[in-house]
Amino acid sequence: MDSASPVHNWIYRGIFLSVAATIILIQLLPLDTLPPSIPAPDVLPILTFAWVLRRPEYVPIALVGLVFLFADLFFMRPPGLWAALIVVGAEVLRARGLAFREMPFIFEWALVGAVMAAVTLANQVVLAITVTPAPGLAASLIQMVLTILIYPAAAIVTRLLFKVRRPTPGELSARRVRL
Amino acid sequence: MARDRGNSDTFVRPIRQILVAGLVLFLVLIFLVWRIDNPRVERFRTNMIDRVLPNFDWVLLPVTGAANMVSDFQSYARVYQQNQELRRELQQMKSWKEAALQLEQKNAKLLDLNNVRLDPKFTFITGVVLADSGSPFRQSVLLNIGGQDGLQDGWAAMDGIGLVGRISGVGRKTSRVILLTDRSSRIPVTVQPSGQTALLVGDNSALPPIEFLEAPERVRPGDRVVSSGDGGVFPAGLLVGQVAEGRDGLLRVRLTADYERLEFLRILRTHPAEAVSDPGALVLPGDQPVDEASPEVAQDG
Repeated sequence: MDSASPVHNWIYRGIFLSVAATIILIQLLPLDTLPPSIPAPDVLPILTFAWVLRRPEYVPIALVGLVFLFADLFFMRPPGLWAALIVVGAEVLRARGLAFREMPFIFEWALVGAVMAAVTLANQVVLAITVTPAPGLAASLIQMVLTILIYPAAAIVTRLLFKVRRPTPGELSARRVRL
Repeated sequence: MARDRGNSDTFVRPIRQILVAGLVLFLVLIFLVWRIDNPRVERFRTNMIDRVLPNFDWVLLPVTGAANMVSDFQSYARVYQQNQELRRELQQMKSWKEAALQLEQKNAKLLDLNNVRLDPKFTFITGVVLADSGSPFRQSVLLNIGGQDGLQDGWAAMDGIGLVGRISGVGRKTSRVILLTDRSSRIPVTVQPSGQTALLVGDNSALPPIEFLEAPERVRPGDRVVSSGDGGVFPAGLLVGQVAEGRDGLLRVRLTADYERLEFLRILRTHPAEAVSDPGALVLPGDQPVDEASPEVAQDG
């Protein structure tokens, strides 16, 4: 049971951290400084959700909070708010990851879409309540829809490139003994 | 669901929930602190970016350069056509250059005759764009020059020709330029032939609209827009762009600066215009220093 060992987990946590850092750096590259007519999808949360649904032990919740807090700081967003919402979203998904193991992919996609929509709306509501200057509702909704649309791609990349796949029932029972 | 996961979970789960709640509370607290004491947290953010990002310029600059090279390479396909266009433009430019040279000489002579002392404010520092805001909703870029180069908040940033934005947030080695297209950008401008003053209001689109025009009917598409220097924050007379009419009927500005590729920005050293505040004191005999130390009258360029 190599794939459940603590060393293995830590390696994957390191991989998650470096992938997140790479995504942040790429977004920071000043390739096009014109305001985009269509906002690009937000890759980082959708990738995090895909990992959380497959192997929650690779993405401990503290790591998610830390990564998104740094992303907030770098991307000039209100620090902490988006990170807190993503942590809640990831926690909701983590609780349901096992239940969605045997279901078809379309249900998983719907669940992630619902969580993403809830997180985006909550973000807008809190920004409105605290009278923070916020991007327009329409623009963030477009971004949200695009983000949800790329979820299958994120799932495929997670599975094929990073080899993060759901534990088989056999592995699960082994892990339970270990716990 | 907890039941079929085994006994150990009944102990682990509540502790876990408390930890997660603590984490969320901590993050929300950061947000609230930011909302209440914005400058302090923004200073922390600037310092953190200042500490982290310059270490990555070895990857940021070459990757940006390589990506730009690829997009340049795509334009090789029509290199002949481009060459012809450039030749034609060069011909036109030569005649303009001749005109400009003559005007410059004439201007220099006139200035000399009038004994005008020009403002020393138009000296500049040039910086390289390290990174942008990384978010589709904020329009700003990070430069590799900062407080150690004497930069200050509010100074104007231009590319070779047109205004790009203003400095907002100065770290030790980096500084942030809020672009004219950002939602929080407001610049006082003058629309040239009619001389009306207005505000250029960023709205996260490529063509920011002009607001608070007194007589919009006297403004036509193609009119020049320059910064007006109202409020004394911004130097006057910097070229911003040309008026264009948007599809929604709003008057917008087509920016002169090449926003598609901001690579080097020059930051104009601006010093606040000195104002004449007191009506002037009596010059008494034997009180010589008063005359010399009296504040200089601000000169309008």
